[in-house]
Amino acid sequence: MSNEFLSIEDLHIHYITQEGTVKAVNGIDLKLNKGETLGLVGETGAGKTTTALGILRLIPNPPGKIMDGKIILEGRNLLELSEEEMRKIRGKKVSMIFQDPMTSLNPVMTVGEQIAEVIEIHEDVNKEEAKEKAKEMLELVGISGGRAGDYPHQFSGGMKQRVVIAIALACSPELLIADEPTTALDVTIQAQVLDLMQGLKKEFNTAMILITHDLGVVAEACDKVAIIYAGEIVEYADIESLFASPKHPYTQGLFASIPSLDEDVERLNPIKGLMPEPTDLPSGCRFHPRCPYAEAKCSEMDPKSVEVGAEHRVKCLIYSGEVSGKGIENE
Amino acid sequence: MHKYVLKRLLLLIPVMLGVTFIVFGIMHLTPGSPARLKLGEKATPEQIAALEHEMGLDKPFIIQYGNFVKNGLKGDFGRSYLSNKPVFEEVLDRFPATLKLAVAAMTIAVVIGIPAGIISATKQYTLVDSVTMVLALIGVSMPVFWLGLMLILIFSVNLGWLPSSGASTWMHLILPSITLGLSSTAIITRMTRSSMLEVIRQDYIRTARAKGVPERKVINKHALRNALIPVVTVIGLQFGSLLGGAVLTESVFSWPGVGKLMIDSIKKQDIPVVMASIIFIAITFSIVNLAVDILYAFIDPRIKSQYQ
Ligand SMILES: Nc1ncnc2c1ncn2[C@@H]1O[C@H](COP(=O)(O)OP(=O)(O)O)[C@@H](O)[C@H]1O
Ligand SMILES: [Mg+2]
Repeated sequence: MSNEFLSIEDLHIHYITQEGTVKAVNGIDLKLNKGETLGLVGETGAGKTTTALGILRLIPNPPGKIMDGKIILEGRNLLELSEEEMRKIRGKKVSMIFQDPMTSLNPVMTVGEQIAEVIEIHEDVNKEEAKEKAKEMLELVGISGGRAGDYPHQFSGGMKQRVVIAIALACSPELLIADEPTTALDVTIQAQVLDLMQGLKKEFNTAMILITHDLGVVAEACDKVAIIYAGEIVEYADIESLFASPKHPYTQGLFASIPSLDEDVERLNPIKGLMPEPTDLPSGCRFHPRCPYAEAKCSEMDPKSVEVGAEHRVKCLIYSGEVSGKGIENE
Repeated sequence: MHKYVLKRLLLLIPVMLGVTFIVFGIMHLTPGSPARLKLGEKATPEQIAALEHEMGLDKPFIIQYGNFVKNGLKGDFGRSYLSNKPVFEEVLDRFPATLKLAVAAMTIAVVIGIPAGIISATKQYTLVDSVTMVLALIGVSMPVFWLGLMLILIFSVNLGWLPSSGASTWMHLILPSITLGLSSTAIITRMTRSSMLEVIRQDYIRTARAKGVPERKVINKHALRNALIPVVTVIGLQFGSLLGGAVLTESVFSWPGVGKLMIDSIKKQDIPVVMASIIFIAITFSIVNLAVDILYAFIDPRIKSQYQ
């Protein structure tokens, strides 16, 4: 076998609600090698968090349900494991950092207890040793070990996120899923937290899925990028080829929307129009209503994923020759 | 923290002044003269007037109230018209019975209500949940006196298992404490359930699961402690009001507590005893509330650090 570590195949996740079925993830394929960082980029509502929670099998059920697909971690399909086997993977082999540090920590437990807990669960240590290690983890993320007895409300947002990182890394996971880890933080803190994660990731040789809507973060931190739109990966490439020649009209739109340095923009709003309602996705290519190059065929045919270079795949009819794509920039 | 407790205790003073003023006012406005009551039907108007003068009842309301407060500060709230005992002695004599009943009722409510609420929340939308919620709804809507009478009818009259009135043995405690505890059980069940449902949607519960914490511990350790914060308030309020004497339950079961004393005294227009009971109820209620607030600080570190 190769050093292929994680492979997601044809993953479908739906939320079944009274208003209809939200098709949040629609046939995602992803691969990740040991130690690599994959950026998962897309607008709010594209299905990024759902994909991440799917890997840990933490989709809230009801209403959520993994309908189909495989999530293979080191040869084992996570979707076939028992709940108990899965529990042993969570926090140990695979950890997650959530989007909002303000609400991710239990308000009535000290941060020390919260870090020590994950160590006690997964490692063969007693309470005292776990406490000691929790303090070391705090130091590692740049917080004095003496603050282990403090409660979350005594920390700032950036510090809380450091605590969350300490929890996530406490058992040296092989895969770290970071769901927009810096979005909720001040711009100045963002860079610090990102640097910290990068450093620790290298130190522990952890593979990472970094969810973001910031292409700047991607450029800085990722080896590979998957662009997600309406629950599908529309483009997948290594970082060089993506930045050198983005292929999908949506990806190109994302790049076009990167603000100049002195502007700061919170949300990507790259292309005219809105993400389609996930309860009522358009036929054919999901992106066609917003695509400047769309032709009649785009609303009829489902685009297949096409290789456009080494490890560079695009889901667009232009690249399978079905549609002319007149005017698209494509060296 | 100490400062806070002291402040709260000092706050009791204006509360007490307010409560007594209102009760005193109401009593003042109700027709009938205590002097006549004391002297009986055959008294002449002269005798009544003389006694009213002696009791200070012919003075303006504000002066009367002022005298009441002045005497109250010396610990003298007057004597019962009927027994001629100091009123607080009367009330305190009855308090142990009320305390016993309140503790028994709250124990039932907490021991059943909290687990029922947790189970109901973790099994939301299942049959268990629906049944629990229907029972809780019945529990809160059932009138206490009706429930008490039904229990007496079944367990005392028909089956003859349990006594229906009095307080001499622990057997006497069973029916009144069930009667009194049922609505608290239902309220605590509902509160625990809704609070738990709110908490298990929180991000930190997802964090706990993502750490690999076993589901049982996610519920009993991570969720419950957070969910209990509002439940403790409800328990405190319930307990506070039970301590003031459960008027209906105590009457139905002839339970010799503060509630029954108050009702009997109202019937007999024994005003000093009524006043003393009400003041006593207000004080216990305030103290229990304070205790709950202090307890709160131990459960919720965010509140504790506000005091420091
Ligand atoms: N618990 C849920 N119930 C119903 N719909 C949900 C739930 N969570 C997410 N969704 C829907 O699934 C879609 C994808 O959401 P999400 O994965 O959170 O996107 P992203 O993280 O990319 O912003 C959205 O349309 C969102 O409204
Ligand atoms: Mg998200």
